[in-house]
Order: sequence, then structure tokens, then C-alpha cells
Amino acid sequence: MKLTVDVNICRGHGRCYSLAEGLLTYDEDGYVTPRGQAIDVPADQVDDARNAADSCPEGAIDLLED
Amino acid sequence: MTSPAEEQTEISQRVPTGCPVIHLDASAPLEAGAHWAKANELREASPAFFNSHAQGYWMFTRYDEVREMYQHPEIFSSESITPWEPDPVYRFVPTQIDPPDHAKYRQLISRWFAPNAINRITPEAHEIGRRLVADLASKGACDFVTDFAMRLPTEIFLTIIGVPNSDADLFVPWVEEFFAGFGGDLEQQAAMGAALGGIRGYWEDVLADRRQDPAPREDDFVSLLVNSTVDDEPLGDALILDILTVLVLAGLDTTRGQLGYLFRHLAENPADRQRLIAEPELIPTAVEESLRMYTIIFGDGRKVAQDTDFHGCPLSKGDMVYGLVSGANRDPRIYENPDEFVVDRKANNHLGFAGGPHRCLGAHLARRVMQVAVEEWLKVIPDFTIASETPLMERGGGAMMTLLSLPLTWEVAS
Ligand code: HEM
Ligand code: SF4
Repeated sequence: MKLTVDVNICRGHGRCYSLAEGLLTYDEDGYVTPRGQAIDVPADQVDDARNAADSCPEGAIDLLED
Repeated sequence: MTSPAEEQTEISQRVPTGCPVIHLDASAPLEAGAHWAKANELREASPAFFNSHAQGYWMFTRYDEVREMYQHPEIFSSESITPWEPDPVYRFVPTQIDPPDHAKYRQLISRWFAPNAINRITPEAHEIGRRLVADLASKGACDFVTDFAMRLPTEIFLTIIGVPNSDADLFVPWVEEFFAGFGGDLEQQAAMGAALGGIRGYWEDVLADRRQDPAPREDDFVSLLVNSTVDDEPLGDALILDILTVLVLAGLDTTRGQLGYLFRHLAENPADRQRLIAEPELIPTAVEESLRMYTIIFGDGRKVAQDTDFHGCPLSKGDMVYGLVSGANRDPRIYENPDEFVVDRKANNHLGFAGGPHRCLGAHLARRVMQVAVEEWLKVIPDFTIASETPLMERGGGAMMTLLSLPLTWEVAS
């Protein structure tokens, strides 16, 4: 699975990085990093990635299933 | 394009046949929970309404539409966010500033309330929480919303700003007076004005003091503002005072309201309480669930900036719209068992902190305050119940909602 955060839609709610701590972190302004690039989701973090995507109030997270 | 003559058409005459018309003034206090029941009813009856209250405005009741409203400031301007007051005389910063200027002001403040900044003051936040709980524990009873839920966010907020948290003695009564004035009766209006004067006067003194500093102070928000620029210009006193006042009015009563509903839930649901005591790592999830289920924002307003057809409603420039946030947050099209409090609900994209560019700037702080409250309270007072013979009442949905009182009792450990 691949996860991508849309830079233009993310508003820094921080829901994603609290639910997928192993996968995502945040910058000084509270926006998730990395943004705007596809990252590989390890098999044991697929659930976290889904929760993050489903909890983003902006719908900024795209998941691409393998 | 509409001609000027068409633009003059009364809004009520443009309501299409498919759009139900209601008359709803949600400003009166009701029995606790009544506003969410109303929101559920409206949402399931229709995605859009025309409300003939005040000058008349459109209402959108479901998740997708409310999020769309928040995410499109080019159509839905924040010039007014109060649907029954389309031309406000005040202009709060950053609340009522639209993009692109909005980002300039937001940038000034947002880092101060970002997760790293909140982490910095978290140990102190816990200390404050422990002290306030300890003060109450031996009493065996309190009114949670006035004795604890207002004091905690206020002390933590003052800490993060960099002024003495004991000044909560001043701020708590000011904020209480200010929001009591939302009911509209004239006597309270004077008290409301006086409270606002008190808050502004306090910041004037801090500002004058920081302007005297030879160098910027560390961990001091007013000092940061004094030393910041927008468009290469230093900030004037009026803007700084506006920002500080907005933070007080946006941050304290809101967190109090949200905490009250969360603790009412915990008082009435011992199983959820036990679960959070056994698994404190679920506290953040429970806090998010309370923001979804017990949304204190009945609805949020915007002013239409360009003629648009929005889900079948012919919106004209200057019309007001009202997104029913509390309808959105229990929309069964989005959530399984939307009216159930699921302590460990993982997929939760609630709009309790809004969305789009005006996403609540204090969201990270508010969450941390609520987490601290639950953790420190349950450690000392694991069992408590509501001590009220009469149903609890909530403030109307015209402003941010809150329980008017939440009397709690518990056994005092000997
Ligand atoms: C649980 C508590 C809170 C809730 C439910 C809440 C909710 C909201 C909502 C819905 C908005 C958007 C309003 C709009 O655009 O129409 C907002 C904006 C804002 N909130 Fe909060 N808030 C809370 C706590 C706080 C705290 C603690 C602070 C800061 C100390 C704060 C500061 C702000 C500011 C400055 C804005 C304006 C942001 C902008 O326009 O860019 N809020 N809040
Ligand atoms: S939850 Fe969504 S908006 Fe918030 S930081 Fe993550 S991607 Fe951005």
C-alpha cells in the first residue's frame, strides 16, 4: 500500500499522525510530514494508515492499494 | 451573470420548490441534548433548508456539504460567520479574514499553538490539572462547568501565553460575564461590555510592558507579536489586542463546554470510565469522540461571495449560509452507529474543529487540555455521579453550546 497526503488540502488537523505514529510525523506548524509524495506503508501499519485516512477531516489522504 | 435588478430579489423569493422552508431560532436554552436531536431530525429530513429566521439564510445539514462550505472560502467568505448577522460591525482576526490575507495573520500565531509548542507546556498543564483536582477532591461535590471546566483551560492558556496563570482569577469571571451576555437581555449587555473592557485592558497593560523590553522574551507570546511583521510592517497595538482578545473568546468557553459534555458522559457511563482508567492510551480517542458526538458548534455561518448553484440552492452574493456542524458529525452516511459514543472509535473525521483554512487554531491545545482533564480527574476521582433532580440545561445554539451547570458528587476517600 502507498499513502499520499495532498499538500493543497492538508490543514494540519493532526489526526493522521496521532493515529499512525510509526508512519507519519509533523513539522513545526503541526502539518503532517512527509506531504506530497507517496510513501510505502509496511504491512503491519496498513490498519494505522486506513485509520489515518478515514480520520482526516479534510479528506487529504489517498491510499493506493497494491 | 445576474443583473443588479435580480440581485435585489428577496432571498425568500429565490427558494426553489424542492427546498423546504423552516423557521428555526436556536438561541434559547434547551434541555441538554435537544440541539443534537434537532440536528439529527433536520439532517434526515433534507440536505438543505431555507430558514426564514432573521433576514433568512440557507442551511446545509449533512457532512459533505458542511465540509464543502468550510473548504471553499472563495465561495463561502468569513466576512460574517453569524448567519443572522450578515453585516457585523466588528472584524475578528483571523476568524473573519479571507484567504489570501488570512494566511499572513494565521502564520503569526499558528506555530505558538502547534503540537511542539503544546508539548513544551504539557508538564505544567498536568501540574495545574493535579492541583485543581486535589483542591476539589476533598469536597465531594462541585459544579463541574463553573468550578473546574473553566478554570483548567484558562490557567493552561495563560501559561502558554506567558503570563501568570493565577490571573485566571480575573479571566474566569470576565469570560463568564461575556458569554452570559449572549442571551440578549439588556442588563447583561452592560456586564458583557465591562467584561470585554477588562480583557482588553489586561492585554493593553501586558502589551505596554512588552513594548518596553530591550530584547524579545523567550516563551512569551505578546513579545513575539511585538517583534513580528505583516507585509514588512510591525503590528499595531489594535491588531495585537484584537488577536489576544479573540484567543480568549475562542479558546476558554469552548473548551469548557466540550469538557462539560465529556464529563457528563463519563458520569453517566461507568463502563467507559473504567475503560479509560484501565487503558489511558484511549483517552485521546475518547476526546475526539466527544468532539464528534457532543459538538458544541450547533452550526457555523458563512457569507456567499459569488453567485453559485450549491446542491440545488441558487445562492446569491451576499446571502448567508449555515452549515449544521452537529448534523454533519452524526451523519449516518459517514459514521457507523453515529449516535453511539464509541470510546475507541478509530475512523473519526469529525468537523468539531471546523475545516479548511479556518480550522481551529487552538485544536492541539484544546485536545491536550481535555486529555489532561480526563487523566488527572480519573486518577483521583474514579467514580462520580450527576447530582441533579431536574434535567440539565444547555445554552442555545446561537453561540457555542455548553451545559449551564453540571453538579457532580463523589465519595470522599477517607
Ligand atoms: C474544544 C474546544 C474548541 C472548539 C470546539 C473550537 C472550535 C472552533 C471552530 C469550529 C472554529 C472555526 C470557526 C469558523 O471558522 O467559523 C475555531 C476557530 C478558532 N479557534 Fe477554536 N475551538 C476550541 C478551542 C480553541 C482554543 C483552546 C483556542 C486557542 C486558545 C482556539 C482558537 C481559535 C482561533 C484563533 C480560531 C480562528 C481560526 C481562524 O480563523 O483561522 N480554539 N475553533
Ligand atoms: S489529518 Fe489530514 S489535514 Fe490533518 S495533518 Fe493529517 S493530512 Fe493534514
